[in-house]
Amino acid sequence: MSVRGMRWVVLAALGFAQAWSAPLSAQEIGDKLVVVTSFPKDLTNVFKQAFESKYPGMTVEMLKKKTTAGVKYIQETASNNTSDIFWASAPDAFEVLKGDGLLAKYEVRATGIPEKVGVFPINDPDGYYKGFAASGYGFMWNTRYLKAKKVPEPAEWEDLAEAVYFGHVGMSAPSRSGTTHLTVETVLQGLGWEQGWALWKRIGGNLKTVTERSFGVPSGVNSGQFGVGIVIDFFGFSSKASGYPVEFRYPSTTTLVPANIAIVANAPHPEAAAAFIEFVLSPEGQRLLLDPKIRRLPVRPEIYAEAPDLPNPFEGEIGATVAFDVKKSKARYNLVNSLFDVMITYRLDDLQAATKALHEAEAALAAEPDEEAAKLVARGWELVAALPIDEAKSLDPDFAGIFKKRRKKATDVVTGRQAEVEQEWDDFVRANYAEARELAEKALAMVR
Amino acid sequence: MNFSGRGQWGALGTGGFVLLVLLVFLVIPVAKVIYVAFQHPDTGAFTLVNFIDFFNTSLFRESFYNSLYVAAMSVVVASLIAIPLAYFTTRFRFGAAALIQTLGVIPLIMPPFVGAVAMQMIFGANGTINLLLDEYFGFTLPFMEGLNGVILVEAIHYFPFILINLSASLANIDRSVEESAQNLGSYGFRLFRRIVFPLAMPGYAAGAALVFLKVFDDLGTPLLLNVNNMLAPQAYLRISSIGITDPMGYVISVILVGFSLFSLWVSYFVTRGKDYASLEKGGGGLGKRELGPWGRLGAWAVVLLILLIVLSPHIGLLLLSFGTIWSFSVLPDAYTLEHYREVFSTAMPYITNTLIYAGLAALLDVVLATAIAYIVWRTGLPGRQILDYLGTAAVAVPGVVLGIGYLRVFHDFQVPLVDEPLASWWVIIVVALMIRRLPYALRACTAALQQVSVTLEEAALNLGAGRFRTVRRIVVPLMAGGIMAGFVTSFATAAVELSATIMLVAAESDAPVAYGIYVYMQTAAGRGPGAALGVLAVLLVGVATYFSHRFVERSREVAEADRRLAVAQGA
Amino acid sequence: MNEHASSTAPPPARGVRTGPRAERLVIEGLRLSFGDNEVLKGVDLTIEPGEFFAFLGPSGSGKSTLLRAIAGFGPRPAGRILIGEEEVTAKPPWLRNVGMVFQSYALWPHMTVAKNVAFGLEERGVPKSEIAVRVRRALELVGLAEFADRRPSQLSGGQQQRVALARTLVVEPRVLLLDEPLSNLDANLRVQVRRELKQLQRRLGITTIFVTHDQEEANTTSDRMAVLEEGVIQQVGAPVELYDRPANLFVATFLGSANLIEGEVIADGGARLFSGRGGFRFPVADEEEEGRAHALFRPQTVHLGGPPGSAEEPGFFGFSGRVVRAEFLGMLVRYGIEVGGLELLVDEPHEPDRPILPEGSEVTGRIATRRIRILRA
Repeated sequence: MSVRGMRWVVLAALGFAQAWSAPLSAQEIGDKLVVVTSFPKDLTNVFKQAFESKYPGMTVEMLKKKTTAGVKYIQETASNNTSDIFWASAPDAFEVLKGDGLLAKYEVRATGIPEKVGVFPINDPDGYYKGFAASGYGFMWNTRYLKAKKVPEPAEWEDLAEAVYFGHVGMSAPSRSGTTHLTVETVLQGLGWEQGWALWKRIGGNLKTVTERSFGVPSGVNSGQFGVGIVIDFFGFSSKASGYPVEFRYPSTTTLVPANIAIVANAPHPEAAAAFIEFVLSPEGQRLLLDPKIRRLPVRPEIYAEAPDLPNPFEGEIGATVAFDVKKSKARYNLVNSLFDVMITYRLDDLQAATKALHEAEAALAAEPDEEAAKLVARGWELVAALPIDEAKSLDPDFAGIFKKRRKKATDVVTGRQAEVEQEWDDFVRANYAEARELAEKALAMVR
Repeated sequence: MNFSGRGQWGALGTGGFVLLVLLVFLVIPVAKVIYVAFQHPDTGAFTLVNFIDFFNTSLFRESFYNSLYVAAMSVVVASLIAIPLAYFTTRFRFGAAALIQTLGVIPLIMPPFVGAVAMQMIFGANGTINLLLDEYFGFTLPFMEGLNGVILVEAIHYFPFILINLSASLANIDRSVEESAQNLGSYGFRLFRRIVFPLAMPGYAAGAALVFLKVFDDLGTPLLLNVNNMLAPQAYLRISSIGITDPMGYVISVILVGFSLFSLWVSYFVTRGKDYASLEKGGGGLGKRELGPWGRLGAWAVVLLILLIVLSPHIGLLLLSFGTIWSFSVLPDAYTLEHYREVFSTAMPYITNTLIYAGLAALLDVVLATAIAYIVWRTGLPGRQILDYLGTAAVAVPGVVLGIGYLRVFHDFQVPLVDEPLASWWVIIVVALMIRRLPYALRACTAALQQVSVTLEEAALNLGAGRFRTVRRIVVPLMAGGIMAGFVTSFATAAVELSATIMLVAAESDAPVAYGIYVYMQTAAGRGPGAALGVLAVLLVGVATYFSHRFVERSREVAEADRRLAVAQGA
Repeated sequence: MNEHASSTAPPPARGVRTGPRAERLVIEGLRLSFGDNEVLKGVDLTIEPGEFFAFLGPSGSGKSTLLRAIAGFGPRPAGRILIGEEEVTAKPPWLRNVGMVFQSYALWPHMTVAKNVAFGLEERGVPKSEIAVRVRRALELVGLAEFADRRPSQLSGGQQQRVALARTLVVEPRVLLLDEPLSNLDANLRVQVRRELKQLQRRLGITTIFVTHDQEEANTTSDRMAVLEEGVIQQVGAPVELYDRPANLFVATFLGSANLIEGEVIADGGARLFSGRGGFRFPVADEEEEGRAHALFRPQTVHLGGPPGSAEEPGFFGFSGRVVRAEFLGMLVRYGIEVGGLELLVDEPHEPDRPILPEGSEVTGRIATRRIRILRA
């Protein structure tokens, strides 16, 4: 706290000093800026144009990569870096780059940005990356779809576990989408490891599909491939703003996390990079976030006055009740991804089959209660929810290390192989899903 | 043939240069990627333990099986599409045969991932067809569910490979071969099954092998359809995940490359010595059969139905590009020109880049391919077959593997004067496209060279022309048709390539059109403009293809006459 | 493989049925067009059962089109084609049971020789055991029994042709059609094969039509032949008849070298005279009408030498001229003799002690006027 307080003072002083000096021209900051970003064209174009007109002569290259591919790109090209800025949503991605020493520290000069949005600190405590917009997670749904299929609108995560949503939900895999990873981790932290995974598997059983890209989810809802999608808020807002018959809602267990920006280590154009960050965080830049195609939550509270329809997280209009523990998240980042993939993404067919059988058995039981059969169904749900490892193990650095090992030097030695572990898990969940399905079918036979 | 010392040195120099190009831009990058598969994840020592892990992992076994299944079924579906089109247009007097052949090639020039988006709108669970089926008949069909969707999209995208190769083979079958069978009492499907198809087998096998291999390696389609339990997506997901150096991705890459090479070898082995096409020439000529009125009606019905199916991605794309909102409905809510306005105002650089990249790549391809073909077939250079094998093997390298390989190998190489790393200089995209499309050009140029009689060259050499001058003044002009065909194929397919370029685009201003569409398609508001850009790309490549096609046809007629003369002189 | 050894006369074959099924072929008013281009302009023809009949004509004359029309290939013609009592004009090729051997042989390269021959029987649903027997007999008939398991590409041209023949004959067609069957063989083989063909046809007694552009082939093989030009039959008859008594200039010149003198038939009192260029003037039959005409005589009907006076004998037309060329052809010498501004072709038999007249020699010669034909067209 004291460190952060100190920083605040220093920042304020710097910002004050800066305010007196005249804005820099392109000659002083160079004429080129390369930004690696996961953001859509609709967002990047607006900022690119505004920045370029502010600094005539400046050319901004927006290099579109999926978050994961962007990280990979910066890692692969680190030896001869050509990128200035990494600009994406998921703080985890920045953590990975930070961990690899691929980000440069930067002190922001602009003032007037609070320290936290909801319970999440806006900026990296270590000073590598800055939050420039807040995002919350929730669901969007296609109103035509829900009406045609007579499916109710969801309000809470638990709703999506209901039988009525079977086959109507879409989400992205956390390993593929940094934002989805945050959603998964938020629920795990909010409900606890066991409860959280149990919920994800219930929802997983209802999934129509696990998309490869995070944008695959809003895309699927927009086109009507499935009815409900688990998405980050701006996907919902911007889809609606583009005219699609969709709605978005925050559930009560969500977290607001900042979307971030950072300077890449050894950036070829550091002055331009700094100017860009300052621009994004200035009131002028923050106002651009209100563009109907963007619709992200600004980190400057005063901007909300200009957009009464946006929920204001600084006034508690979004129930972000979970205190997100970044350290915990980071410690098991790859492990959670891998666990989700093994249990849900790659075994979706088995999970769906078990879930469907259990739903059917439950429906039959509701019409004709039977204690024995109910026990079988309950056991079935337990089997579906069962986890190959407990939370303590997930946080065991040695074990989690198997999933992110990088031999930095040829002489480094690490132990354990991911493929082996994953195969063990796979055997475990497959057997459980199969048994759960059998139990459900048995229960159904008993009731009939 | 006899070799003057000078000619041999020239061939050696050219061959050496080509070999160098292939080594630097194909072998080394790929080796750099796949050697990880042989590294022990803990110690970095050489090991095969990763392969043991692969086969011990049920997910990978399942993925392997799924990839095989999808590739094989795609060949089946693609054959069902391609065989009637090829048969009716080559063996019968059939109105609009040229148009059908052209339309039949168009699916190849649409990026598969764009096609998949459009196909979802039409064949998806809540797409046009299923909404209609549900409304009127109360049931739906799972066209696009899981592996079905991959098979459908792949078959529609890649069937032109069978169409092109099979048509070439069919067109070469002498009419009298068919007539003699009719004369002996055979007709209809039996005639096709017993005589025509076996004779066209080499072309069919070549096309089918290509389809099998491309589907087996294809990444974009399964990814876009969210099918993960296949080999290529597994490799990609594992290689491109945050902060992981999981060797399994590289193991899968090795298996992809190895298996593709294997299937290439099998198809070569199966068709070896079975090229009958040129055996039966003369007499009946290449004339076409007449169809009776009912046969004509039936053939038209089949052809139109097939065209409707294979062009459905284009129809869907067209609707998307003009539609405002298309969500859970049979057709878009309303129509607008806004998307095109947006594309014309912002996206033209993509088009220019594409023309430059694909054009340069295709040009380099035909130069390399001609050199390789000539060295392999007309010189006695020791080890010359290696060039052919390497050039062909490029078809078996997944684009992602090549892309990552380039990043690894060339990032630290600073290009002089430009002062940029080679891996992020736009030229590397051209090089990647060139290597990826070299096999197509090589095939076309080899075929063209084999039709040029050696005696013509000997005549030129005899008259005192050096070897280089002979190649330039005699061989290349006679190969013009084949070279142009190679250029067109390379150009058209390079223009829509995404998998390698997505790894290599280092600046948006350098991006080609496939990348532009991909970027557009990542936003809610961008679907329309993305589709509009897709339509423009298809039109552009289609028009370019059509004109080069006409050029090829014209030069082929001349070349055919030349060839007859040459054969007559040779005989 | 020794072409000549393997293509000597085939061994006598039994089992391929002969004789009884020979059919008459009748063509009535046959017209056929490719688009706007009329290729057959009304063909009427009757071919007798068991006859070896030739269609002779230059390329483009319609002879192959006519043959293909009989087999059922090509555009649907107007008119009628009857085989025996049955009209086949509208039938598809596979229902006609007309055997055709193609110019290129059209053997299927993906099948063995035996498979090629068995094909037609298989298509007719003949039982497997019977197929084996009949295929063997057919191959024996053409002397290729030991090549049954070869691929067509492993055979010589002559052998390929005999496989094509066996493949056609094995189904016992009602009519056998041969489309330029000798054109792909080398010269020595051609003579031999055409003899074999004729022998085989005689043995089988099958009605056979043979298309050729080579009058020697037609002459040596056929019982009768039809000369076609521009889609019209110019003349039908036995080869000798056509050669000696051509109906028109086309037939006359197409069937062999001929001297043609332009001129006219004029009245000379009650008699008729031919008066042509180069001083050709001699009496002709009284029935000849007056008017423009050609006088035709073959080179071998002209005789050189003899005393000058003998040329004036009655029944002969005598001339004198100068040798402008002499071509030694082995059995004869073909001279070009300039007579009154015309060049006459004259064939003289060659004998060892007879010197060839040098160019520039002055010679005399005569023709028996009864050997001269007067043609109007």
